[in-house]
Amino acid sequence: MRRRAGESILIGDDIEIQILHIGESRIKIGIVAPKSIPVTMKEMELVRQENLAAAQVRSVAALRGMLDKLIDGPAEITP
Amino acid sequence: MTTIQTTTPQRCETRYFGPVDYDESAILVFPDGIPAFEQETRFLALQQPVNKPLVFLQSLSNPGLCFATLPAQAACPGYQLNMSPEDLDAIGLGGGPQPAIGSEVLCLAILSLEENAPPTVNLLAPIVVNLHTLRGRQAIQADSPYSHREALPLRGAACS
Repeated sequence: MRRRAGESILIGDDIEIQILHIGESRIKIGIVAPKSIPVTMKEMELVRQENLAAAQVRSVAALRGMLDKLIDGPAEITP
Repeated sequence: MTTIQTTTPQRCETRYFGPVDYDESAILVFPDGIPAFEQETRFLALQQPVNKPLVFLQSLSNPGLCFATLPAQAACPGYQLNMSPEDLDAIGLGGGPQPAIGSEVLCLAILSLEENAPPTVNLLAPIVVNLHTLRGRQAIQADSPYSHREALPLRGAACS
């Protein structure tokens, strides 16, 4: 399927993808869909999954131990 | 009935640090939550000298939810923002240029730790907080050279 700026694609009865503007390296798209259908960038799903994984960090000590080897930093020593 | 003064310290339970006192003026507000945790709209940024440069984002409504983060520029010197107009709007900086990290916004990359693998940071979508209003959002960067899972330490080229 080929489309030009100003043209649309219909998916089913109630979803419309509008090609609004075609630039050199990106296109601007309008999406008309029922409120019940979430419309997000695909990266959003990666971010969701990553947030869920990040929330599982068990302890600060584990994190600290790994970071100490990696980051030059103020390795402030507590007695 | 008593009125809570804004200067009265509040106390919350935290995932890693036990009970912590805080002032209401220190609360970071994420009006839309963050992806996968849309109901969590209020966080504290906790730092301990011993754990520098880590910053912990502790949810106020869920003691079990605390993200370990690194300032994006600590993970990656020279890191710059490229936020979408929608994300800038959401933290009250719509219509302006990309905000300056440090003076206008706090920019934190969430850390993730998996067993037998180096820790990773999400530089594709840092947490960005307007330092004047303390409104925050996790903002997916446009044309990002970084992924949501950059291994630490970052390869030198990624940070130049």
